[in-house]
Amino acid sequence: MNVFDVQASLRALLPAERFLVFEELRTEVAAGGVKALQVVLPALPRKIGREQLPPELALEGDVSVDLGAWRACDAAALELLHVAQAGDDALRELYAHGDIEERAMVLRSLACRPVSAGTVALLGEVQRTNVQSHFEAAICDSNLVARSLGRAGFAQADLDRLVLKAAFLGIELVRLFDVHRHANPELSRMLQDLATEREAAGRAVWRDTARLIARAPTAGTLARLVGGLEHGDDGTRLAAAEGLDALLSRDRSQRDELHLYLRERLPREPRAEIRAALERALAR
Amino acid sequence: MRIFEPHIHMFSRVTDDYERMALAGVRAVLEPAFWLGQNRTTVGTFVDYFDTLIGWERFRAQQFGIHHFCTMALNPREANDDRVNQAVIEVLPRYLEKDGVLGVGEIGLDDQTKKEEHYFLAQLALAKKHDLPVLVHTPHRDKKKGFQRCIDLIRDAAFPYERVLLDHGNEETIKITRELGCVSGFSIYPFTKMDTNRMVAIVKEYGVERMVINSAADWGVSDPLMVPKTMVKLEQAGLRPALIEQLVWGNPVAFFSQGGRLDVARLEQPANIDRRQTFEGNSVLRGQDPDA
Repeated sequence: MNVFDVQASLRALLPAERFLVFEELRTEVAAGGVKALQVVLPALPRKIGREQLPPELALEGDVSVDLGAWRACDAAALELLHVAQAGDDALRELYAHGDIEERAMVLRSLACRPVSAGTVALLGEVQRTNVQSHFEAAICDSNLVARSLGRAGFAQADLDRLVLKAAFLGIELVRLFDVHRHANPELSRMLQDLATEREAAGRAVWRDTARLIARAPTAGTLARLVGGLEHGDDGTRLAAAEGLDALLSRDRSQRDELHLYLRERLPREPRAEIRAALERALAR
Repeated sequence: MRIFEPHIHMFSRVTDDYERMALAGVRAVLEPAFWLGQNRTTVGTFVDYFDTLIGWERFRAQQFGIHHFCTMALNPREANDDRVNQAVIEVLPRYLEKDGVLGVGEIGLDDQTKKEEHYFLAQLALAKKHDLPVLVHTPHRDKKKGFQRCIDLIRDAAFPYERVLLDHGNEETIKITRELGCVSGFSIYPFTKMDTNRMVAIVKEYGVERMVINSAADWGVSDPLMVPKTMVKLEQAGLRPALIEQLVWGNPVAFFSQGGRLDVARLEQPANIDRRQTFEGNSVLRGQDPDA
């Protein structure tokens, strides 16, 4: 799988002497395989660097990845995993014995590799991790989670749990490419329960809640969306307006009742972006 | 004043210690791999411990703004155990390349056996290969003789003295090490090893060049605040603040920078604190409000 040209990206990003170091390490790992990679991988951040790659959406087959989330060492790690012919066992072993940055590099590489049993196992690891950077490296800024759905060991319930954890952590939905397509009533229930729990505790609710639950309503969804239109937080109001727009685009059975609330809110809404969303919903 | 605590076993300490250390000025800690109170029977338990030092423990320290580093080694006590000694040596090269690993240690002698010497030399060779300094544990029993034997082995291995920290020193050993060019380490304990008053006397006599102090706090009767407590004693004894800072920051930073992995500019800032990483993840902070 060749999602992007790592060598070209690094050549453009790195000073010549550091690119030379990368080529030397590549040669070393090509000769020594996974055993050599075990020693080379931890040194990549300090030897290759931590500079961000320029933002670019890389598309190849069913893969989409935002390279702007990648660092030089991440790209180098992807290439070295490839030349070392690291399979599932090697990937899991490198993760298990990697330091914080090694683990992040291994997890980020998953987005550019075919989904395998190793991918599913590592998604299970990040579901239980306490290190947010690892969770983000695995599930954000690519469509890996959506692409993995349906593989052995990664069912809808597994995707739902990852999304719920993202909500716990306050990670923006837009970073989990295509996950919104897999909204379902059980996930909506989970997100609404979390929202209720947070509200009872006087804590912030994940803003993207409305965007997801609107795509698969369950008991309480409509009230939560309509209530969101009056929320004091701009982001929450915008999500509620966009959620209602998404809901009406799929189901017009309660159009008249919902339009009542949308029309009532529109003249009082001070934010232009939210007014535009309200108007879109009213056009449904 | 910032403190680099150059020898502490946080693996055996509670979270409150991190908080108290941060409040007392500790900006960075170095945790040498050591004996865990009972012998391990397989290499796998070493590997799990090493993984904790480079992963979880760094993360835990970061929650309190403390940078966590470590040294990796087969400790001298378990160097005597044939169930694990050679296997640990074989897994070490991988760990000696980790970013947070600033040296090889604790190596050295404990019971002063031939096996301890064999693995001491093997690990001096690893330190050379991985371009790292060494932290040397010196024996608690028959100390003066063991101390001298450590120095003889280092000399015979042609290992550069400036890359050697000879730890757990006292009034006797400082006389041996002062002229060698190595760094002398003193472990300040509440009752044993070295105490604060004796440490003040040593500093007054020998100065602070090539000298570090540490708490060596572990699971026993020890105190992770012994470095800041000693600083107070030194100040009360009239030592200039610049010299105290050299002792507790400049010297350890300079020594552990020799491997080229310690980014001093990053040390100038506290480690990144984002307790939400665990707070929302429903883990060690168990629901406390990180901003409370």
